[in-house]
Amino acid sequence: MRRLLALSILALLGLSLVPGTAPAAKPTIGIGGFGGVSVPIVQDDVKSGSMFGVRVPITLMSFVSVEPFFASSALGDGKQEIGGITYTRDGFDNKTFGVNAFLGSLKGNPGFRIYPYVGIASAKLTRSGSADITETAYNFGMGLGVSPAASFSVHLRGELDMVVIDDVSRKFANATLGVSYDLWPR
Amino acid sequence: MKTKRLIAGLALLVATAGCVLVSGQFLVNFDLGSFSVTSPTDVHSQLVDLNTIGDYNDHKDNLKGLADVAILGSIRNDGAEPVDIEVWMHPDDQPYILASDVKANGIKLWGPFHLEPGETKHVDWDTSAGLFDPLGKVTLLGEIKGDGIFTVYALGAAGTYSFTVTDGQVVLVLNAGA
Repeated sequence: MRRLLALSILALLGLSLVPGTAPAAKPTIGIGGFGGVSVPIVQDDVKSGSMFGVRVPITLMSFVSVEPFFASSALGDGKQEIGGITYTRDGFDNKTFGVNAFLGSLKGNPGFRIYPYVGIASAKLTRSGSADITETAYNFGMGLGVSPAASFSVHLRGELDMVVIDDVSRKFANATLGVSYDLWPR
Repeated sequence: MKTKRLIAGLALLVATAGCVLVSGQFLVNFDLGSFSVTSPTDVHSQLVDLNTIGDYNDHKDNLKGLADVAILGSIRNDGAEPVDIEVWMHPDDQPYILASDVKANGIKLWGPFHLEPGETKHVDWDTSAGLFDPLGKVTLLGEIKGDGIFTVYALGAAGTYSFTVTDGQVVLVLNAGA
């Protein structure tokens, strides 16, 4: 099942790279940073926390972009009242390395754009009292980008991040605000 | 055309991911109550029947694994010697009263949790989660996915001991999914 899911992600990435009828454009490479909130979904033992990261947006064509990224989330401690006493469970630190693929350009052109994206990553969940969990993660999201100045853009994104552990997953809804700057070509 | 291909790809992705999308981590707890244990011929045994817990029954048919586990409460060493407290289990309803029987026929689940004479400690979740025996966790998972009925025992690792457990709880965070 996980292999099928990974192949589906790769197929989607491949479909997005199939050349269309649009005229070829020069690829651009940028650098960006982002921060936001990560909200665990249907997880009784952990709470929301902050996240931040860096990314390298690469616009390959006018309608296709890819973006290697690193993200780090510090999830909140889970608090549960058990037998009349409140117990606290250490929240996860979630560190992720991966790549996203976008239907759209991440180049800092003037204007406003909305774009869907998917991604695949390696995620490592660590917390006190438990062995580290290192698994494949998948994410699906939508972004909204605006360029207030040439080569500079601001992005608001919402995504579902899914760390697959055997037959289940730990899921997080992430909302981030980030800025990017085109490094090459200027 | 390109948009149609991408939509088809997204549909395939969502269909494939459905089985892990519909999953979560659910907490259930079983009350062990308060009790005292005195060596060498007294172990505290407690039958655990998870089927009496509504949340367990709600997810029993979809259990995939054990995300986290803890034994919680406060423990006081009533004896004159330091004590290392352990929790053992047996997969059946088996009310042993001798520590030797428990260790001969049961499986170590948790511990050692060390207390000096007269010391009282509150067992916090993080500390407790780190004290579980790997083989014990595997056995516990088998019981959780099985009939949900097993016996747990509290005893000292060795020697003469006397301790009191207050507000004991077994806490399980279950992985459940379609």
